[in-house]
This record gives sequence, structure tokens and C-alpha cells, in this order.
Amino acid sequence: MAGDLDDLPIRERLQHWVEHLCHILPAQAPIRDFVHHNTLHGFQHLPFPEALAAARRLSGAQVYWSEANFQAAYAAGRIGPADLQAALDDAGLAGLDTEVIRGLHRRDILAASLLEPLTPPTANREAWAERETGGLPDPIFAISSTLTAGIAQDVPTSWEVAALARWNALCGRVGRDWTLRSLLEYLSGEDVLEKVRSSLQRHLAAHLDLGVAAWRNPAQGQGFFAAWRASAGQDLAWEIDDLHSVREEIVHLPEQAIDVLVDELGRLLPDQQLWPGYLERLALEQPGWAGMFLWRDRHPEGGDGTNVAMLDYLAVRVLLERLLCEDLIRRLTGVAMGFDELRGYFTSELAEFAVRDALRRGELNEELQHRAARLLEPDEHAPVDDAAWAALAASIAASRQATAPAVAARRLAGLLGQLALTPAEAAGLSPDDAVVLLAVADSLDELARGQVWLLAYERHYREQLFAALTANQSRQYSPPIPSAQIIMCMDDREEGTRRHIEEIAPDIATYGAAGFFGVPIYWQGLDDADKTALCPVVVQPTHLVRETAAPGAEAALASHAARREKRLRWRERLYQSTRRSALGGPLLSSLAAVPALAALTATTLAPGWFGEALQRWRRGYEGPVASRLALNAASGEAGTPSAPQAGFSDAEQVDRVAAFLRMIGLRGGFAPLVLLLGHGSGSRNNPHLSAYDCGACSGRHGGPNARVFATMANRPEVRRGLAERGLCIPENTWFVAAEHNTCDDTIAWYDLDGVPEPLQAALDKLLQQLSEACRAHAAERCRRLASAPFKPSPWQARQHVVGRGHDISQARPELGHATNAAAFIGRRQMSRGLFLDRRVFLISYDPTRDDDGGIVENILLAAGPVGAGIALEYYFSTVDNERFGCGSKITHNITGLFGVMEGADSDLRTGLPWQMVEIHEPMRLLVVVEQTPAVLTAILQRQPPLQELIDNAWIVLASKCPFTAGIALYCPRRGWLPWSGSAVLPQVAQSAAWFAGESGPLPPAVILGAHA
Amino acid sequence: MNPLLHSLSDAIWLVPALPLLAVVVTAARVLLGRAVGDAAEPLTAHLASLAAFAGLVLLLAIDGLALAHGAPGHRRLGHWFGSGNWEATFSFLLDPLSLSISTLTALIGWLVIRFSANYLHREAGFHRFFIALSFFLAGIQLVLLAGNGLLAFVGWEMCGVSSFLLIGYAWQRPVATGNALFAFITNRGGDAGFLLALGLAAAWLGGFEWTALSRASQISVVNDRLLVIGFVIAALAKSAQLPFTPWITRALEGPTPSSAIFYGAVMVHAGVYLLLRLEPLLLQVPDVMFGLVLAGALTALYAWLCGLVQSDVKSALVFATVFQVALMFVEIGLGWTTLALVHLCLHAAWRAWHFLLAPSWLVLTRQRPPPPPAWLCRSQLLYTAALQRFWLDKLSEILLVKPTVSFARDVRGLEEHFIDHAIGQPGQGQAVHAERPLVLADGLPGRALAAVSDALQRIENRLLLRGRGGTAEKLLHRLGSYLRTLEGLLEQPRYLMMAVMATFVVIL
Repeated sequence: MAGDLDDLPIRERLQHWVEHLCHILPAQAPIRDFVHHNTLHGFQHLPFPEALAAARRLSGAQVYWSEANFQAAYAAGRIGPADLQAALDDAGLAGLDTEVIRGLHRRDILAASLLEPLTPPTANREAWAERETGGLPDPIFAISSTLTAGIAQDVPTSWEVAALARWNALCGRVGRDWTLRSLLEYLSGEDVLEKVRSSLQRHLAAHLDLGVAAWRNPAQGQGFFAAWRASAGQDLAWEIDDLHSVREEIVHLPEQAIDVLVDELGRLLPDQQLWPGYLERLALEQPGWAGMFLWRDRHPEGGDGTNVAMLDYLAVRVLLERLLCEDLIRRLTGVAMGFDELRGYFTSELAEFAVRDALRRGELNEELQHRAARLLEPDEHAPVDDAAWAALAASIAASRQATAPAVAARRLAGLLGQLALTPAEAAGLSPDDAVVLLAVADSLDELARGQVWLLAYERHYREQLFAALTANQSRQYSPPIPSAQIIMCMDDREEGTRRHIEEIAPDIATYGAAGFFGVPIYWQGLDDADKTALCPVVVQPTHLVRETAAPGAEAALASHAARREKRLRWRERLYQSTRRSALGGPLLSSLAAVPALAALTATTLAPGWFGEALQRWRRGYEGPVASRLALNAASGEAGTPSAPQAGFSDAEQVDRVAAFLRMIGLRGGFAPLVLLLGHGSGSRNNPHLSAYDCGACSGRHGGPNARVFATMANRPEVRRGLAERGLCIPENTWFVAAEHNTCDDTIAWYDLDGVPEPLQAALDKLLQQLSEACRAHAAERCRRLASAPFKPSPWQARQHVVGRGHDISQARPELGHATNAAAFIGRRQMSRGLFLDRRVFLISYDPTRDDDGGIVENILLAAGPVGAGIALEYYFSTVDNERFGCGSKITHNITGLFGVMEGADSDLRTGLPWQMVEIHEPMRLLVVVEQTPAVLTAILQRQPPLQELIDNAWIVLASKCPFTAGIALYCPRRGWLPWSGSAVLPQVAQSAAWFAGESGPLPPAVILGAHA
Repeated sequence: MNPLLHSLSDAIWLVPALPLLAVVVTAARVLLGRAVGDAAEPLTAHLASLAAFAGLVLLLAIDGLALAHGAPGHRRLGHWFGSGNWEATFSFLLDPLSLSISTLTALIGWLVIRFSANYLHREAGFHRFFIALSFFLAGIQLVLLAGNGLLAFVGWEMCGVSSFLLIGYAWQRPVATGNALFAFITNRGGDAGFLLALGLAAAWLGGFEWTALSRASQISVVNDRLLVIGFVIAALAKSAQLPFTPWITRALEGPTPSSAIFYGAVMVHAGVYLLLRLEPLLLQVPDVMFGLVLAGALTALYAWLCGLVQSDVKSALVFATVFQVALMFVEIGLGWTTLALVHLCLHAAWRAWHFLLAPSWLVLTRQRPPPPPAWLCRSQLLYTAALQRFWLDKLSEILLVKPTVSFARDVRGLEEHFIDHAIGQPGQGQAVHAERPLVLADGLPGRALAAVSDALQRIENRLLLRGRGGTAEKLLHRLGSYLRTLEGLLEQPRYLMMAVMATFVVIL
């Protein structure tokens, strides 16, 4: 990266480096706008395994599920031996079928090594286990011990040579994957950042704050560096911490952050080549804070007008790093010195380094550890003399034993056990065979093992899905004359709703599409103070749709708005004054105490009842307002994202409706009622609220889009325009819109008063069928919720989920996308009648009317990134919830209205909370498209964004032939691989019969009752 | 007294005992490995909730009867230990003060337990959390209902321990454990005050019973002042008033419900309750009351200023809490104890709700709260001080923790250089006599033992083996009579008391 940048002036180079930080820091927006995205978005240009390896190098995070989990899945039959073998092939390992030693092939040995832990238990643990269990002597282990007895360990000639090499290696890491602070922490055990971490976090939170603090730093307007400097220059903490010259230095700093940054980097590390790497490491020490700072730097519109510049942050971090490290070095060595001098110091004080190093590595026995710790203890009065260090270093060197043979013996024994060798066969092996066996097993490193396990895990589920699709090929069904058509979001959670509707009403046809229904809009509802974008994040809407009072309801709206404003103002006053106002606080809190206690009691005892009652009271107080959409624009003046056009012109409306209906393959055979069902999630006391909402609407509710679409499609002008384009919608067809609350499985309907009289009966029936389906769906969801009743009736289930949605104590109001695993793009016939366990995004598409693949190309471009974003965010938050996720919700503490900390003093936590991913099975999204491989290949060749996703294997693509049962899997390395497997599937009468009493993930099944 | 009320108030010990029973049962299940998986959670949560609910019902019944027939007052349920003219009893004081706060606490405790059952579902520390929470409920009820200082002190300590356990709930995080330890150590300062006051009460008032405090007018003002100051220190520490405030601002590492009940609703008010309980004593010493006003006013100012700059919700709420608790101290100092009581109850109820809704802050608020006056806004120094919380936690680190660490190091040095050598270490023994290489000894005891065994062998050889009537028998008889005299002495109350107190000091 540094190469061609070297000639640029330092300022421009710094800008480049900051730009680069965007790739490695979390890119999460303030938490109100939580949108799922690939956690490793900055590595998306790399193939999946390489990107994961790079991320692991950079942050040290786990990038695959832990082997213990995979091994448990293997034991539970969720990964089979065949999957493991196929995964070895898929991983592209060479020479799998060569015979390593008599009768044992390389693939067998690798498969066996995967089932054994990479690091065997330590000798002490083994000895303990043997004492505890009084274990029987293991003949295989005895044989292994003799076989490996000769394995030598490289013992260096003298400890001085080893220590010098080690010291140079450690120094080489500074600027690459370490900062000077990390090196010093390794040497001394003291983390210099700890001294200022709390205070720095307070400054950062205060600067970024979007509305918690009443009092801001007086110098805040001049940027973070100036604000920090103004405060730090007056801070007594430096003196308290014995850092006496620091305040003086801060006061005399240059005015400009960039000058400080360049000066201090120079003092910290003379070698400019290392600067970019060093800044990267420094930013990654508090990834949450640095990421939020950078996000605000890059998205000034997302803030409150505060000047946020990443260079300010880096300047402060580098300055603190230099000041604090200098202090620690002075305490360690007795002299103030820079990094280069420190390097020289320990090169001459090798004995001291050797002792420190041995202590950190944790390889000392108790007595030596004790002695080393005593020597390390800082004691101003009696500095340790060199002789003591040398003596201890020598005794440490003497105490090193050759542990290699014992470790190798345990690994070999495990391997032979997995290979199912009898003691007699094992005895026939030679020591050379043992070395070869172990070498083969070692040829897979930790990451390669993780990759093979992941491939095997994905394959197991993929085989089940392919079998299900094949089994369903002969049963394809769609209602010949549908009584209603329901278009829902592609969301995996809606798979359940759709299945239940189809089971309850076999004459209803369902469709799925990205939940903004082809109308990207800015939306401003009656109660909204500002407009919000309702469309995927990558799209910028150019149209604004407002909700206005229906004719004649203007007075009602005025009174509603006034009362609502009054209610919100009092609520605001109540919660804010009781915490900050000196006079009003005690008074208001005394007044509110009794109602608060009553509310707490009520919501604890009957959350559902209380929540619904509260909603009723609120609605009753504010008064209902009949509303309409301000949808129609006079002419199509092109709007821009910053100045959107109000409404859509007739031609635009016709465009939108026609394009959407064509996309989902609904071109004729319209039912009397066409329902557009958006979705959102309502829960209480949940900072991650928007992570449960519609991903295709930027983490908002998709109901308004449904309503806009239905209103458009019902207009006679639009119908005429559609007819001109050959899309004839019968006059007696009516579009209805509603929003599905995925948390409590209720449905809010829009504009039902406009439905023509002759359709009322059909509408009533649809309403009733849909609520029945929602109840059945609630019962299905309850099976994964531990606090739900066991095998609930649909009504019990409904009660439970309604209570859950209103419960302030519920950390899992719903499970979100926790079960997502695959996506189908094609006609519903291919999956209708299958139980897919709410694991599949269902996107409607008719391949028979799309010969050149133009429609599916657009679907892939729009839905691909959304689905991949959701799946990959869940993937990474699951495999390492500490680094990529945000840990458990229960200690979360909202900070500055932009994020959460753990407790009151931690890094800002990004990603998904543990409660959301707890039951997730981390795998990449499998996208099955009902289109021929040839068409898909052509699309892939002309679309770089899809190449990045699919050729780099961030998602897995498969083709399902539209006319036959043929399925082919796309492998970036080997091209299209036709699938052949058995298509035997369990058959059940109804979904309920398959999931009743089950609480774990379920394989697909054929639902016999789903077809009329 | 109404017979029903009589028997109900005799059962008051159940209010702290039932949560304690829940603790014992849950802890036993954890120890026996029975508390594993989803299936084990409901039992733990139900036990805790049932214990709290039973306490609430009992208290409500007593409240109802007390409204009709008058509060039962001081109830002595049993003898604990005692000597001479004083005794420690199991006694409870059921007056309007304790009954009102105790009922409110039982209600909040029950609701928070119900809240936590959902909130902590599938947490690794689920059972641990409920053990600590029930233990706290038992402790705080003991503080509130106890009829004497000694019993209240036991409860006081139980609250401290459970607070420590819950701040350190996320023990994997060094910040959490560090803060837990900090809170624990700071609170020991308050305990010293409490213990001092208890000792003085026993000496001057002849007992620990709260009723004895009404005799406060019989002792001199100087003694009274010393006694009260001990209790006031305890109250300041528990209620996080200056100079003890830093511990509570660092105590927000636990799960939200525990923050709500400890630092929002209940425990933070324990100090206020203690002072309300000591009202008769306080009235004797107007200068201490003035001190309370001063401490309260300073804390209020401190908390108000710090609260203005907080940018995370839980910290903002905890400063708001400290602010109002400080006002209660002012009210008590001014002698408005009824106002303080009402304020306490209302504040506890509101703050429980406020804290439990902390995760809703994104929904509850729309805009930044109005800024403080412009002159304050412009002051960079005050802003820095408020942001750094007036450096109090750094200072207490320097004044409290560092000296403790140095002291510990000195003690270890002493042990390594002298005591270890004196005591000797296993496996380091050397032969005592060249002619008996099997007898190895190291350190004083080892050598002493070797010497004793030598001597005994000599005794055996020379005296005992020479038959009855020898010197040994005479010596033994004399020794026996000495021991009898010693036993007689030890049975005297003053020595027994010393032994008991020594035991207490060792335990605490």
C-alpha cells in the first residue's frame, strides 16, 4: 500500500491511511439506524477464506465457529462423514487420494485429524484426569508413546541466542500487528492505556453525544482535538497519576491536530514505513469508538453538526501512546528513551528480557514463576541487579524440558483412535510412519480446519434442501383460480407465515419480494417530525411521500397532533427532568412515583394486557385520524436525494407498478384481492430494535411502502397506463396493504374503508384466514422460545407472543433472522408444500418469461447484497460474539444515543447481541435460483458486484432448472457441478405435526396437507 | 394487641429468612450440579420470586392490621447471645418507618426478580444472579426490620457482599471485577463506622436495641456525638455521599435489573433509613445534623454538576439518584424526617422504573435536555472537573487502594523473610541430630517439635517408666488444678465477651 504513496505530501498520505481505516473498522451507523451488513465488508474484494484469514491476522478474532461446536454437530449427526469427505474435496486440497502409509489415504487421515482437537490437553490435565478417573491403561497410547519417543525438539544452543532472536521478533511486530503499548504490556504486564482509557472514553462519548448530556465541552465546536486539549490541559489526573510533565506538554502542543500527529508519530517511530500499520493497530485497540468516530467523520449528515474528524482522534491516540509509553519505559529502565533505544537496551539486558518473556509465555513452573514475578515487581528503592536476572534466566533455561514427544504421543493416539486402528495394526507402524502421519495431520492449520468444517456443515444442510426441492418437483402446485394473492417481504421469517396461510387457505397464492415493494421512498407519516428513507441502504430515494389527513379530517388531525405533542412533551419532561433538573426533578419524580410503581406491577404481571391497554388509552387520548397519502405529483420533475420530489407522477407510478409485478412474475390471473404485506417489529426496552425490522427498508417498518404501492395500483389512471403496457388488471381486482408485526404476529391494515363493497365478503374472509395463519405461525415460533408454553394452541401462542412484544423484561422479544440460511429465487411452486423451518428467503420470480435473465439480474443485484448482509452479519456475530458481536444485552448501557457500552466504562459494542445469534447456525447464504446455469453464468460475467459476492464465495449460488428437476451448484473454482442425490423426505400432514414438541432446528419435510 | 397481629409479627423473621432459604436451596442445586440448562431456570426464578412474594404478603397483612390496631413495635423473638447486663437478641422493630419502607422494598424486590427471570434467561450466571439477588433481599430486609443494631449490621454486610457479587457479575471483564473490588473496599470504611458505633452503644447504652436509643438523652453529648458519627459514616458510605460517592459511579457493571434495585431503588437508600432510625440520637447533636446538611448539599452539587456532563444513560441516572439521596440527607439534617421518609419511598419507586427503562432511552427521548446556565456552560475548568468527576475516584485509588497494596507487599516481605523461615517449609528439613538422620526439621515449629519429642522421650524414659507415685503424677495433678482455675476465669463474662468480640472481628 505504501509503495506509490511515498511521494505524496504527508497530509495526503494521512488522508489515504484514514480512508483505508474504513475497511477495517466496524462500519455500524448510530444504533437507531441498525442495518445488517457484512461485518467484514472491507475484505469483500478477497475470496472468503482469504478474507477470513486476513481478518484473523488483523484482529485476532475467531472467524470460524469453534471446533467444539462443529464436533458437537458431527456427534449430533448435523454433519456426516460423507459431508466431511466432500468438504475436503471442496476445499481444494491436493493429493487427497494418495496412499500415505499402507492402506491409509491422505483424506482418511485428514478426516480423522479433524475429529481430534488441534491442541491436545496438557500433560498436567491428562495426569489429573487419570488420577480422577483411575483410567485404564490405553494400549494405543502406550504404542504411540514408543513411536514418538524419538521425536526431537529443537532446543537452541544457549538461552542468550534464543532470547535475542525472540526479542528481535517481538520488536519486528511493532507497527505490524502490535503497538508499542502492546510490546510494553508484554514486557511489563502493565497496560498503559488503562490509565487514560476511562477518561478518553468519556471525552469521546461527550464529543460524539447525540442527546444525552446537557452540558457539552465549551471547546467542542473546534473539533475533538481542540476540545480534548482544552480539558486535558486543565486535568489534575496527570498529577495524580504521577505524570508530571504531561500537562506542560499538552499546553504547548501545536494548534493543528495534523501537526501533532506527524510530530508524535515521528517521535514514536522514526521509520515512516511503519506509520500506516501503526495507525491501523492503534485504531483497532478500541474498534468500537474508532469505528463510530470514523463513521461520523464520513457521514456528517448522520450527526448533530458537531465537527468530527478522524485525524483528531488519531492525533490524541498517538500523543497519549507516546506520552504514556515514554513514562512506562522510564519506569522500566530508569531512563526516558524511545523505541529504538529500548530495542538496544534489551539487546544488552538479555537476561532480564528472557525472564520477562518466559513469564509471559506462561511456561514456568510455580516456583520459577514466583521468583520471576518478584523480580519484575517495581521497587524504586532496590533496583534489581544484573546478576539476579542472569541467575534466574539460567535456571529457567535449565528447567525447560522436552515436552514434544509427550504431546506428539497424545496426538498420535487420538489420530489412531479416530482411524479405528486395532492395537495390533498400530503396533505394526514404524516411528517414521508416525512422523508422516502427524505431518499429514498438521498440514491443515487452524483456519484450514475451520474452512473444511464450515464446508461440511453447509453441505449437510444444502443436501437436505436440494433433496427437498427435488422431492417437491413432482408436486408443484399453484391454485388455478386464487381467491387472493398475498405479496410479502422475502424475509426468512415470512416463510412461516406464507406456509401457514397456504395450509389454511390452499386457494391463496403467495409471492415474495424485497420488502420495499419496488418503491424506494422518503416517508413522512402523520406523526413523524422528519422524513426517513424506506428502501435498501444502497438506494437513495428521490421521491417523498407524505401521509396527510383525509379530506374532512383536518380538524381531527390538528387535535391529534396537539395532543400527541403534549403527551410526548410531558413524557420527555418526565424522563429528562427527573434526571437533570435540580428543582423539577424531585417534584416530578415524587408525582410520578405511584403511577410508575403501578405501571411496573402491571407490566410485570400482565405485559400483554397492560401494553395493549396502554396503546388503547394512547389512541383514545390522541384520537383517530383518517389519513391519505400525498402520492401524486403533477409532473415528473426529477428529484434528488437531498431535494426529493413530492409524490410520483402518473407515468412513474405506472413504471413502478409494472416493473414490480413483472419482477415477481404476476402478469395475469389477478385475484379479486391482492394484499401487500410489509413488516416491522415492535418490542419494548430494546436498544437493538431496528435490527429486527425490515432489512430491505433500512431497518424500518415496510408498511408504508406496501400502502404506497397498493394506492398506486388502485388508481384508474395507473390501471389504464398498465393496460397500455399489456398488463391488464381486472376492474374487480383491489389492492390492499397491511403491515405484519413479526414480533407479536399481529397485522395492521391500511385504508380498508376504500375497499369496494362487492369485495367486502372476500376481504372479511381474507382477514380471518390471515389472522388464523398468524396464530398458527405464532405457535410455530413458540417452539424455539424457552419461556413459551410447551406445544401451545394457536390462541395460547398468540397470547404469549403479544405478551412478549410488550414485555419490558424480554431480552428476546423475537429471534429475528436467527434461522436464516438460504434463499430461493423462483416461482413459489418450487417450494410450496415444503416445511423450510423459517430458514429461507423466498423471492418470487418467473423464469419462463425471462429468457435473457434481465429480471433475475436485477433481483440478484438488489436482493443479493441484502441477503448476504443479513447472513454474514449473523455469521460473524455468531462465530466471535466478543469481537464481531456486542455481547450479552443484559449489561448494555445506551451511550450518547448512538451505541451501547457494556456497563459504564467499555469500548463501544457493535454487531449483534448474543441474544439474537444464540441459536444461529453460522453458514453462508445458499442462493438457489430457478434459472439455467447458462443464463446465470452470463449474468455473472457482466456484473462485477455479483462476481465479488459469488466468485469470492461470500454467498453460495445454485441453479434449479425451471423445467426439470436438475440442480447444479456453482463452484468458483470448478464451475457448475450437477447435483445428484437421493430425494427422500419425511412426509407429514401439516406443519404443526412436524414441529410439535420440537425445540431444535428441523430438517425440511413435505407437507401433504398444503395442496388442495 | 390484636392476636392475629401478634402472631403475624412473631413470624416477621420469615421476611428475611425466606429469601435466605431460596439462596440455600439454589446454591445447593448449583453445587450438586442440578442447576444446568433451560429446565433448571424456572425453579430458581420461582423460588426467589415466591420467597419475595411471601414476604410481601406477610408485610401487607401486618400493614393492614397495623393500620387498624396500631403498629406492633419492638418484638423480641429470641436470645442470640449475651453476657452480664447486655445481650444480643433476635428482635425486630415494626413501626411505621420500618413497615412502610420494608413493604415497598419487598414489592420492588419481587418485581425486579420477576423482571430478571426473563432478562437473564440463558445467561451463564443465571443462578448466581438469583442467589445474589435473594441474598440481597434477605440482607436489606434484615437492615430494615431489625430491632437492634447488631442484626441490622449483619444485614448491612449481606447487602455489601451481594452488591460486590453483582458488580462483578461479568467477572470475565477486568473493569467489572476491579470496580466490584473498589466498591467493596470503599464500603468497608462505612462498616468501620458502624462497628465503632455498635461498640460504643453497647458500652454506653447497655445494648444494641434500637429502643435503647431513646435513652440517648441519658448519656453525655460528647458520647452521643461519637456514637452518631459512627453511624453517620456508615450511612454516608452506603448511600454514596461525599466523600464516598465514587464507588456508586463505578458500580454500574452488573445487569440492568441489579443496577435498578441496588443503585436506583433500594440499597442506595439504606443510609437514609439508618439515619431516620437514629432520629432520637441525632436530635441530641445539632452540630452533626448541620454536618449532614453540609454533606448532603455538597453531594447534591457534585452529583448535579457531574450529571450534566454524563453521556451514557446509566451514569446519568446514577448521578440523578445520588442527587436526590443527597437531598434526603439535607432534609434529615434540617430535622424534616417525615419529608425525608416520604421522599425516600417516592424516589425509590420512581427510580426503579427509571432504571429498568434505561434501555428504552432511544425511544423515550426526542431531543437533548436543555443546557445549564450560560456562565456554567462556558467554564472549561468546571466542565473538565465534572467530566473527571472531580478526580475523586483517582484520588481514592491513590489514598485507599495503593496504600493497601503497599501494605500487602510489606506483609508479604515480612512473611517471606521472617515468618517463612521461622515456620519452615515442607520438604526443606534438615537433620537435627547427626546420629538420627531420619528426624528432619525446618523452621521453629519443626525444631520445637523435634525438641519436644526428645524431651518427651526423656520423660518417658526417666519418670513414667519408674512407676506410680513418681514426680510425674504429682506434676500432672498440679497442672490439672491450674487448668480448672483457668476455666473458671474464662467463664467470667468479661473474658467471654472478649472472646466473642474477637470472633466477630475475625469473621468480619
